[in-house]
Amino acid sequence: MKPTELILYKDHLSYWLRQLRKERELIGPLRGEETDIVFKSVENIHDIVLDLPAILPTVKEFLFPQYEPMFKYLMTDEVVDLRDNTKRVIFGVRSCDVTALTLLDKFFLDGYKDPFYEERRNETVLISIVCGRPEPECFCAGLNTGPYLEKGFDVQLTDLGDRFFVQVGSPKGHSAVMRFSFLFRKPYKADYEDQYEVFLSSKATSQKRISLEGARQLILSGKVKDDFWRMISDKCFECGGCVYQCPLCTCFTVTDRVFGDIIERVRLWDACLFKGFTRLAGGILPNEERYLRTKRWFYHKLIYYPDALNGFGCVGCGRCTIACPTKIDMASVITRLKVTAGSEG
Amino acid sequence: MDKILTVCPYCGCGCGLYLHVENGSISGVSPSRSHPVNRGSLCIKGWNAHEFVTHPERLRYPLIREDSYLRKVGWDEALGFISSRLKKIKKIHGPDSISIISSAKCTNEENYLMMKFARAVIGTNNIDHCARLCHSSTVGGLATTFGSGAMTNSISEIADAKTLFVIGSNTIEQHPMVAMYIFEAIEKGATLIVADPRKIRLAEFSHIHLRHRCGTDTALLMGIMNSIVAEGLVDIDFVKKRTENFDSFRKILKRYTPDVVEGITGIHADDIRKVARLYAMEKRSMLFYSMGITQHITGVDNVKACANLVMLTGHIGLPSSGLNPLRGQNNVQGACDMGALPDVYSGYQFVKDPIVRRKFKRIWGVNLPEKSGLTMMEMVEKAYKGELKAMYIMGENPLLSNPYSDYTREALQRLELLVVQDIFLNETAQYADVILPAASFAEKDGTFTNTERRIQLIRKATAPVGESKPDWEIICELSSMMGYEMNYRGTYEIMEEVALLTPIYGGILHHRLNTGLGLQWPCPSTDHPGTPYLHRKKFARGLGTFMPVDFIPPDEPPNDEFPMILTTGRIYSRYHTTTMCGRTTVLEREEPEPFIEVNPSDAEKLKIKNRDSVKVTSKRGSIRLNAYITTTVPEGTVFIPFHYSVAPANALTNPALDPEVKIPELKVCAVKVEPL
Ligand code: SF4
Ligand code: SF4
Ligand code: SF4
Repeated sequence: MKPTELILYKDHLSYWLRQLRKERELIGPLRGEETDIVFKSVENIHDIVLDLPAILPTVKEFLFPQYEPMFKYLMTDEVVDLRDNTKRVIFGVRSCDVTALTLLDKFFLDGYKDPFYEERRNETVLISIVCGRPEPECFCAGLNTGPYLEKGFDVQLTDLGDRFFVQVGSPKGHSAVMRFSFLFRKPYKADYEDQYEVFLSSKATSQKRISLEGARQLILSGKVKDDFWRMISDKCFECGGCVYQCPLCTCFTVTDRVFGDIIERVRLWDACLFKGFTRLAGGILPNEERYLRTKRWFYHKLIYYPDALNGFGCVGCGRCTIACPTKIDMASVITRLKVTAGSEG
Repeated sequence: MDKILTVCPYCGCGCGLYLHVENGSISGVSPSRSHPVNRGSLCIKGWNAHEFVTHPERLRYPLIREDSYLRKVGWDEALGFISSRLKKIKKIHGPDSISIISSAKCTNEENYLMMKFARAVIGTNNIDHCARLCHSSTVGGLATTFGSGAMTNSISEIADAKTLFVIGSNTIEQHPMVAMYIFEAIEKGATLIVADPRKIRLAEFSHIHLRHRCGTDTALLMGIMNSIVAEGLVDIDFVKKRTENFDSFRKILKRYTPDVVEGITGIHADDIRKVARLYAMEKRSMLFYSMGITQHITGVDNVKACANLVMLTGHIGLPSSGLNPLRGQNNVQGACDMGALPDVYSGYQFVKDPIVRRKFKRIWGVNLPEKSGLTMMEMVEKAYKGELKAMYIMGENPLLSNPYSDYTREALQRLELLVVQDIFLNETAQYADVILPAASFAEKDGTFTNTERRIQLIRKATAPVGESKPDWEIICELSSMMGYEMNYRGTYEIMEEVALLTPIYGGILHHRLNTGLGLQWPCPSTDHPGTPYLHRKKFARGLGTFMPVDFIPPDEPPNDEFPMILTTGRIYSRYHTTTMCGRTTVLEREEPEPFIEVNPSDAEKLKIKNRDSVKVTSKRGSIRLNAYITTTVPEGTVFIPFHYSVAPANALTNPALDPEVKIPELKVCAVKVEPL
């Protein structure tokens, strides 16, 4: 469907969000300490930060939490479903995250449907904002995963100073907007011009280009030897930060917790970069050597993801660049990959 | 969904992190991006700091031992029991028959109250905590040389250093965020020198790796200083203006020529000279050390040698230039600062100083004991001998962390009263008469002080599990029950009292910490911005003192019966006695089983293959575990991480003590390894 386009004056933003909050938990970007921004429940709508840096924490956790109780088993043979069905609206999401979710949908919902993800996904409305000022770490522009999107969003806002250019791209978004249609008006020519202005400037400032396709081709050509992965991984702290922060990483493990006669099953984030991730019975560690794990992470994102889900396992959000203590992130590694492969012809 | 900014409960880096709270329980963790230490990163432990909080095995009710079983009781009964037993023991045997072990895992406020409880309520200076086993050498050694035993610089300054000298610290695994800045410095062209008998991960990135024999650190450092003097690389101006006692130090130093030192340490004389030049010739040189320096019978001497080295070269008192003991536990710096030590009150004010005592007496309103108390190992010894009757342990697990576990176990069993206050039923609690359930870091307010002296607020994210309570509340209730009113409305009131009595914390008040990301002591007044690096124009004690030190070999060299050297330490995915990590799915899975590192040529001699099980025996005990064959350890040396209760390395270690601060020699003892 072609997105419906509207204008919302910033003066009316809080009214709109307040109405949405009556039915849903409103999550928005709020100030943490110093320059930190965190996504949390909005108590006071005026605390929502609109002047945002490009790189915000991922909203993956609202659909696939780090610690998620799944069900409870009682000794009476009763099973209690612990699925979260909270209705949420998340304001201020980044385009890269929205793109990532369309891929996560394929991962979690194509074929076997993961009920936990499905429930949360169905109950969540995303209001994304076009990035006007990309940070040096982001490279979504070259990947068409941001800073603005043509499709895939529920509601996409472009900041035009005193007003937002609103695009509605899904039935969920439609309902969130249309029920309050009195707050919105049709865009005029000037609005389109302003929107185009923002579009151009954000395009102009998104300068970092990392070619995932180029990296994929290099790897497939066989020019990238294991020595490269050894060199890349030698500083890895095995912290899992790159995986935890990546909107497209989905490793998890489950564990059972026994509270007297109640057993609770919990799903937890995991990371393929931990050597215990592939631990086999008898203490065998097929990926004990660190480089094998690093290599697999990049292979997953650059080779297996496109093969299986028809899209790269990276949307260029730059979060791994920030999370990784030793800069073994997607952008840096691809840059080094090209240098290394180039120098070896 | 709420996000509560707090501090990682694991190591002394003190990373800032948000706890994510959904429907009253913690659903995740994320790093603070603007935090001056971790800048948006965390290590594996920080990322998984949430899971143990709601673990089913958390202690949820007070328990009293009845024969062989633990009876669930109410708080009144538990505290009433403790109070009457303590009062009785105090009356019959005197206050010094009671001892307290405080905790480097607890907040500053709790440590302050615990030391107040010991001194004002019980009337004894018998209070200590696990710093005895890690950095007591630092506290002692640097107090005499500089007047202040803490990291002199801030962690972020590392990025701008030119030479980094790391001795006895497995930095990547134990202080990952410090290692992050070391990497940044290397990237910018800094030189890294690593001195460690083991080929630790950081050594792979060093420009020079000195693998000296275990326990020869003093000699190595003396050799380096000898060649600094010989090559005229001394900062004469600094030595003249800012230090004293150089001449008597120099007399001893003369004996440690690189050739002599080569004989002791096994390090080539040329390498010693090379390191001397690399370290001395650059202005922004930072020296880092940790357990490899401190856990020896010569721990204090080793520390003094480090201090001498930085004074000799004037590498101190400037940004990116100083001496940096890396403190282990999240709040071991704070527990020391708060005076959870037998000889000092908060802020390292000596109990034997009558003026200081008078000050504390005025505020606390009771007479205070004059004599220094017992250190951790002395408490164990006295308990063994039957002279110590009661021990109150808050948030520590000495059975697994002290050397010579059999002896510690026996000592604990001989006590008339053992109280353990913890979040889990740890190994030590299995011998307790009363067990009190404490709240975890996520369930209370307070402050932690990280290794760079940064005092940071921790904030309550969820309600304590079951009936557990924050340690400070428990102490207050017990104290009041024993007739000494402790009445605080919150931890901020406790900190106010700390500030009143403690010059280095004089300006530390919770409302100041509530915005921003902490303040670094010394912070003497409420308008003081904190101190990023120490000893700028003068040392805390005025002049720095050169302390003459001499090499003394380890207490227990290998012999015919026990031909190998055992050294112990930690691994990345585990923390100390693993009460928390062991209950965290992915951390537990990384290294679920104990192991011993054996060099391939030793393995060949012993006829063992990788993962074979072996028996390791010292004079004091014996354990069984699997061999991990690796060149990380040099020939003749084996390494065992001390985390595992099924094969506790400390069943083997030597309780021989440094004469000054009584730190045991956990880093060297003699063992034999036999295939099974
Ligand atoms: S790989 Fe890195 S840049 Fe790419 S989506 Fe994941 S976190 Fe973002
Ligand atoms: S963030 Fe960096 S250091 Fe951590 S696991 Fe990923 S690559 Fe390794
Ligand atoms: S480096 Fe230390 S403080 Fe930081 S996350 Fe890891 S254990 Fe926690």
